[in-house]
Amino acid sequence: MIYFETVALSFFGIAFLLMGYMLIYLKIVKNRRSKYQKWKNIADLLVSEAIFSEDNDVNHIVFAINHRTEILLKNARFRKVLTKEILSAKKNMSGAAGLFLQKLYLQLNLDHYALKNLSSKKWHLKAKAIQDIGIMNLKAHLSKIYRQTNNKNELVRMEAQIAVIKLIGFDGLRFLDVVSYQINDWQQIKLLSELSYLPANNFSGIDNWLLSENDSVVIFALKLIRGFHRFELYHQVEECLLHMSVNVRYQAILALEKIYNENTSEMLLKQYAIEVVKNQIAIVKTLQQIGSEEDIPLLISFLKNEAPEQKRSIVRTIANISENGLTQLRLHPDADIAPLSLIIKQIEGELSA
Amino acid sequence: MSWQAIIVDIFTYSLLAYSVLLLSCYIFIGAYSVGEIRTHLYKNSFTDYRQLASASQAPGMSILAPAYNEGANVIENVRSLLSIHYANLEVIIINDGSKDDSLSKLIKAYDLYQTDHFVNEQIKAKPVRGVYKSRNKVYKKLIVVDKENGGKADALNVGVNIAQKEYIVCIDVDCILEQDALLKLAKPFLENCKERVIATGGVIRIANDCIIEGGRLVQVNLPLKFLPRVQTLEYIRAFLLGRMAWSRLNGLLLISGAFGAFDKEIVIKSGGYDHNTVGEDMELVVRMRRYMEELNLPYKVGFIPDPLCWTEAPDNFKILGRQRNRWARGTIETLKMHRVMFFNRKYGFLGLVSYPYWFLFEFLAPLIEFFGMFFFILFAVSGLTNWRFFFGLLAVVFSFGFLYSVFAILMEILTYNQYKRPKDILKLLLTAFLEPFIFHPFVVWSAVMGNKDLLQKKNAWGEMTRQGFSTPKKPN
Repeated sequence: MIYFETVALSFFGIAFLLMGYMLIYLKIVKNRRSKYQKWKNIADLLVSEAIFSEDNDVNHIVFAINHRTEILLKNARFRKVLTKEILSAKKNMSGAAGLFLQKLYLQLNLDHYALKNLSSKKWHLKAKAIQDIGIMNLKAHLSKIYRQTNNKNELVRMEAQIAVIKLIGFDGLRFLDVVSYQINDWQQIKLLSELSYLPANNFSGIDNWLLSENDSVVIFALKLIRGFHRFELYHQVEECLLHMSVNVRYQAILALEKIYNENTSEMLLKQYAIEVVKNQIAIVKTLQQIGSEEDIPLLISFLKNEAPEQKRSIVRTIANISENGLTQLRLHPDADIAPLSLIIKQIEGELSA
Repeated sequence: MSWQAIIVDIFTYSLLAYSVLLLSCYIFIGAYSVGEIRTHLYKNSFTDYRQLASASQAPGMSILAPAYNEGANVIENVRSLLSIHYANLEVIIINDGSKDDSLSKLIKAYDLYQTDHFVNEQIKAKPVRGVYKSRNKVYKKLIVVDKENGGKADALNVGVNIAQKEYIVCIDVDCILEQDALLKLAKPFLENCKERVIATGGVIRIANDCIIEGGRLVQVNLPLKFLPRVQTLEYIRAFLLGRMAWSRLNGLLLISGAFGAFDKEIVIKSGGYDHNTVGEDMELVVRMRRYMEELNLPYKVGFIPDPLCWTEAPDNFKILGRQRNRWARGTIETLKMHRVMFFNRKYGFLGLVSYPYWFLFEFLAPLIEFFGMFFFILFAVSGLTNWRFFFGLLAVVFSFGFLYSVFAILMEILTYNQYKRPKDILKLLLTAFLEPFIFHPFVVWSAVMGNKDLLQKKNAWGEMTRQGFSTPKKPN
């Protein structure tokens, strides 16, 4: 029984210790809040001076740093606040203002801390350092960042891939030549978003990436072709329709919608028969954009065996391809029988809305 | 040693062993959740959800919100859902044969007209009376479905049949979602290459006494009344510690019916919501997992610790009792339906750990606690066991419960810190101290009654009266 009392007292003791920690933590947070506000004001002032600098010579400008700020720079928490403010401003600035911010960052030696963290064993510190270097556009450290694009830690790898694009634009995509890990959909969205800020040029390498053994690289390459309308790669995309991976074939269908030619519809209609349902629906949706009246008879023939969801996609495509499409559909032997009759009604409603 | 003493000893030491096992599980869950939360917070600091909001490649999401006699707040609730930040979205409100004026109010407020819509009945459900869309382009994401009354599960099945997007987000229509809730919920589906993410859940928080304006949460307050406040603590414990740990283990069996996202294809292939149980939310997740296990497909059920959804908690014992009674019945029904998985190696971690845990510590715990207490008192009164032992064990369980709650409050402060005033933290700590005396016995009693009702084949949902968020109150 004595054990029960000891255990219960221990639990209470730990609970009170946690409560004590909680109260001290809340007190510290409260104290820090006012201090942080002051630090933030100092950082904002420095950032404003850099942004609105009237000096034209970025290379030789030296920002005036007062003694108090110099002392504060020894404090890691202050550096964190200052770095955050500079990075936040840099994200939204380009041109001279961006260069002045970069200069301020370097003058305050904040890059030294980023480089120190780059060698850290803690993944979140390493990833943050990479992010900082990317945002501040510190091209001198490109090789160090590039090495991390195939890091075993997912977040380090992802930040490094984004950073190399920030540093050298489309050329940074060369990490796709060597990346052995999968690039997940979230990372692909981030990469495409990053590339969308850059002036589109005819970057090279996509044809090689389409041959990658890493399916996610092939998928990303197809997204690049789709996003940047790379018509010259039409035949390579066409070959991807024979790929083993369903997702690669799916992306190839989507890419063809953006780079199609006069033979694409016919080819996709042939592909339809050998595809899985998801890709069949993608083909039909693609034909809605690129199909012609000549495709309607074949599309109508697909109605025979398909499940209702595919039927709906097919009817919608036929109706959108040509004004005559719905008339042809009404002549179908099943046009008055559910579900086709109901689907036709729905699509009629959609068109008239 | 007399045979009575032998029975009492077996009983006492079995109860002690059960308590030690249960407490060990809680210690493991508490410790294990810390790593997952920390990883999530680090990852979150690198995430710019705006990129997903504007991405043309963001996955399509269909919000399914069943509504039954929600006329009082339905307009505001739908407005709240329509204001959520997400481009590739449709909002499907399923009017489950309401007897009030919900439908006519929606028609008027959103300028709806009835369309000819083919309902592809991939999951069997009650007939649809009409599908409505808005003439106003501002509300082009909105679809209102009017159907015959069939209960929440049936309404959700109709929603699944109507939904056109890849993922469905099932919510209670009166929940208030954070503006970026869908962006956060969509991310886990995009992050995994090796396993298919079949469902994701987010943290649900208690909205009583919070300030809601125009369908949006504008100020978080700790509930003034004891019952909603103790549920606030309970939800922090359950979501921040319990579900995060289970998520890390990929052993989650429950995504709350109030807010969760699901892979539509797997929902349909698993057969959709089962309307023969009052625990349709848990049952669906278990069935989806079972489907993936039986086909030997790699999968994951995700969970994120961010507070994404705010709901009103029962503020009186009558409604709370009904809710807990229903939860108990739902758990038992689900466990019974999938009993084949119990310690079945074929189902891997699901069969060997998740299911047995739910059976031993979710289903059996209230029964063991209730009958254990009853017999302990009986033995002590009869002089077969001593009171010191009884109170000693009680003190251990009570002190541990308090410690676990304090730990949960600390985690809340260190992570999301929704209740910033020190006064609120002190109130939560006091609530944690009082919970075992007021709230916990009632919850155990309701669960025991749930078991009894199930044995008597009472399967009513139990009316959930809510105050609504229309009249926000300022806390003191």
